[in-house]
Amino acid sequence: MNTDDWLRAFAAELYQRRVGRDAARHVVAEAATHLREGGGDPWLVFGSPQAYAAAIVESIGTAPGPRPGPVRLHARGITKRYGRQVVLRDASLTVRAGQIAAVVGANGCGKSTFLRICAGLVSPDAGEVTVSGRLGYCPQQGGTADFLLPDEHFVLVGAAQGVPRGPARRAGRAAARDLGWDAESAVLARHLSGGTRQKLNLTMSTLTQPDVLLLDEPYQGFDQGSYVNLWDQLTRLRDEGRAIVVVTHLLNQLDRVDLVLDLTPAHQGGRS
Amino acid sequence: MNRLVTVAEMTLRELARRRGVILLLLLMPLTFWLIRRDSYVGQSVRALLLGISWAVSTAALFATSAARELEPRLRLAGYRPHHLYIGRMLGLWALGLAIAVPFFLLTVVDANNLRYGGIAVAMLCCVAVAAPFGMLIGALLPRELEGTLLLLTVVAMQMLLDPADAGAKLTPFWSSREIATWAVDHTDDGYLTRGFLHGMVVTVLLIVTVAGVFAVRLRRRRHLHHVPIA
Repeated sequence: MNTDDWLRAFAAELYQRRVGRDAARHVVAEAATHLREGGGDPWLVFGSPQAYAAAIVESIGTAPGPRPGPVRLHARGITKRYGRQVVLRDASLTVRAGQIAAVVGANGCGKSTFLRICAGLVSPDAGEVTVSGRLGYCPQQGGTADFLLPDEHFVLVGAAQGVPRGPARRAGRAAARDLGWDAESAVLARHLSGGTRQKLNLTMSTLTQPDVLLLDEPYQGFDQGSYVNLWDQLTRLRDEGRAIVVVTHLLNQLDRVDLVLDLTPAHQGGRS
Repeated sequence: MNRLVTVAEMTLRELARRRGVILLLLLMPLTFWLIRRDSYVGQSVRALLLGISWAVSTAALFATSAARELEPRLRLAGYRPHHLYIGRMLGLWALGLAIAVPFFLLTVVDANNLRYGGIAVAMLCCVAVAAPFGMLIGALLPRELEGTLLLLTVVAMQMLLDPADAGAKLTPFWSSREIATWAVDHTDDGYLTRGFLHGMVVTVLLIVTVAGVFAVRLRRRRHLHHVPIA
């Protein structure tokens, strides 16, 4: 990680820890000046971006987060069986505008099934889901067309909302840039790396400006920088008032979410 | 309308980039034609029509299977089921016409004393039926291998059945064979009328069935309630 990468990661950390925008910009500028004038490896001078950001938060505090808005997603009593096996039993989750909820649990505990039920792609055996506003969904894999260019994916998704081609392409490229990906290159989706393809997947799901965004392990194949960019973007979307549900098994991110639904059978149900 | 055109365009773009597939799609009817060319012109025309039907329905099967994962999210993005299946069908019909035109010219150049208008109508029937037929198999069978085997069975059955047999009328591409008889053997107009009617009825039935299958597969589930933002 070079100095620029370190500064980018540091800025993202400050942003995710809800340090005020102006204060964060000021601190990053100071760190950049210090590194430029004094030289040296930022890891030796400041330590890891996470540790230094934590120290900054302790010293200057954080800006108050936006208050959660009205309920956008309300899933109640979701039960799903495959044959005799009960995958989900009475699972419930309520997410408000301006909140990120994480759905966690062991492999095979029904995380993806729960998300697909929330998206309306699978019917539950019991329970119902109420969604306020537009729904966006990013599947764990698939969901792109092998022989189309990224721009053509943006046009295809944009047309669903009546967005003309030019604006759809520009919006897609801008959303891709937020994930650290230049989507202008004419590379077919099938030739994209796994991580880049997942960025395309994610970009498609945010392109329609959904009020409720459902993401099924959206970081598959991401490198460290992309992972930081993802959470940076999710935090930004949350602050814009979106309700976000992320299926994840990376528990180190749970301190950055507002709600956790643990679907591990031993202690099912939601907790905040 | 814009949604239909966009889906049709993307279907065509996807298929056009599969150069190997396009080559094989063209090779197949050509092979059928060449194999029968020395024996009897009627047989070579019928084989050519069957080759076009097989090629277009295979392309439709693969296009439908490839879109299986993408369509639910396009539905969520704002497409209605009919945008997706009609748009895809329009793209496949356009591809079918692009495949059929050079073969029509081939018959004009290579075979004499045919009713060329009849050949053109027979080819149109092949394309019209093949696109929804391949889409239906692709929508019903989740894996391409099963779909291809089913298509192979239908085309082989079509080839082996006596067209005068009552059961042959139940096969999807009977129309083109009947019209080809009118065009090659200069039979009475009843062949043309029956064939054309059969093609129309089968096409409409297939479109309605495809619409039903897509409507079920991409339906709004009862457990999900949408509430507009106040």
